[in-house]
Amino acid sequence: MIRCHALQWGPAGRPLTPPLSLELAAGSLTGIIGHNGCGKSSLLKVLAGLQPPLSGRLEVRCQRPGGSALLPQQQGFDRQFPLRLRELVASGLWRSQQPRATRQRQLEQALAQWQISALAEQPLAELSGGQLQRALLARLELCDAELLLLDEPEAALDADGQTLLWQRVHAWQAQGRTVLVVSHGLSHLSTRLDNALLLSAHGCVYAPLNQLRSQPHYQVA
Amino acid sequence: MFDALWQPFAEFAFMRRALFGGIALASSAAPLGVFLILRRMSLIGDAVAHGILPGTALAFLCFGLSLPLLVLGGLTAGLGMALLAAWVSRRTGLREEASLAAIYPISLAGGVLLLSLAEQKIDLLHLLFGSALAVDAHTLTAMLAVAGLSLALLALIYRALLLDTLDPLFLRSVSRLGPLVHGLFLSLVVLNLVIGFHAIGALMVVGLMLLPAVAARFWSRHLPSLLLLAALLAAACVWLGLLLSYYANLPSGPCIVLLAGAAYLFSVLFGPVHGLCRTPALPHPT
Repeated sequence: MIRCHALQWGPAGRPLTPPLSLELAAGSLTGIIGHNGCGKSSLLKVLAGLQPPLSGRLEVRCQRPGGSALLPQQQGFDRQFPLRLRELVASGLWRSQQPRATRQRQLEQALAQWQISALAEQPLAELSGGQLQRALLARLELCDAELLLLDEPEAALDADGQTLLWQRVHAWQAQGRTVLVVSHGLSHLSTRLDNALLLSAHGCVYAPLNQLRSQPHYQVA
Repeated sequence: MFDALWQPFAEFAFMRRALFGGIALASSAAPLGVFLILRRMSLIGDAVAHGILPGTALAFLCFGLSLPLLVLGGLTAGLGMALLAAWVSRRTGLREEASLAAIYPISLAGGVLLLSLAEQKIDLLHLLFGSALAVDAHTLTAMLAVAGLSLALLALIYRALLLDTLDPLFLRSVSRLGPLVHGLFLSLVVLNLVIGFHAIGALMVVGLMLLPAVAARFWSRHLPSLLLLAALLAAACVWLGLLLSYYANLPSGPCIVLLAGAAYLFSVLFGPVHGLCRTPALPHPT
């Protein structure tokens, strides 16, 4: 699914890590961990094709063009925008070629899955951070992408929301989609996923999560 | 009493032309204004209006007093300024409003310098504040065409523009339309400002574009209602402003904009969405 060779990324002229070579199979679930500013979010943007890499080769193989979807962090999202939650979620169907009735059903289904059906007519300004996060996840669900890139998806979610999130992540994986999750909550990640990519300025390590604990730069959270 | 609201328009063709042209322009400019505000680009109106100035002055210096060429000069310069600002901010990450704030004094200084070279042959005040009562048949046709084109294009790019405004990163991940929509939108803004400049005055059109849009924000939280409300408000201001200028014998551009200003102040005070004098209804948890 993803193959990169000597990949470097970050602000122009300042790569954040030594070159990264990595292969991730389709249908894999991978965590990305590391210090603040080690390049986790930028790596997701590079993988999503929203930011060019500084050097190296990157191959993201999807069946369809543009088959990746990114859940960015919430900062910078205009909460005052005069829009209802339903319309925000519906924008996930942008590329959908389905007939109107199907799209409508998919939308209702996504709202129900993330337990926000009751909030559908609320303006964005009246949503809490966690409700907005659920809406953004529902929109991501509707994108029907093969590669899902989640940047701190647990942010602002309550315990119920986090349980729901990991249920959906594992369901996506079971459907054969590839999922990458940037997360800070290392302590409980180990129960959620097997492999993780540790990023640091001294080198990147891809390994099972329990082996990463012995890494010298592991002390990140 | 009601006769007085129609009589000047029934009696004088120039009043009718000003009314039709003004209302058409209002109904296309105000929705553009709503999007300008949502994109936090309210300043671009000012920047473009000032950008029109050197373009018109240059056209006057080169070709003399020919209206189509003056409009063309204004259009090129205004569009150039807006696109330059957008390009700089897209390429360098400079905030769009900072990039506009940098361009706006450059245009104003350039325009005034060029006009002083023209030795006052063109009336600076007339250019900036226009005269709505000088809308001739050609100007009216141009205004109607621009308004129709703007509304049609706006309807066409509505969804993409909405998404590019709310979440440009997401639009970029699902479609390549982002930059195109951004550019089209800016072109429409400039076109509306330029076509208004010799009818209502470059600086007055900015008021007609932005004031009803800001006022509407106090009445609704739903984008389609905001767009409709802003257009209706702007059209009403044109109509009442023309009447006021007719009966009180005042210049029409400032009348229209001051009425829009009054609507804005009223909305700030009494609008149901965060208006100063409205206490929000107590929430009822269900």
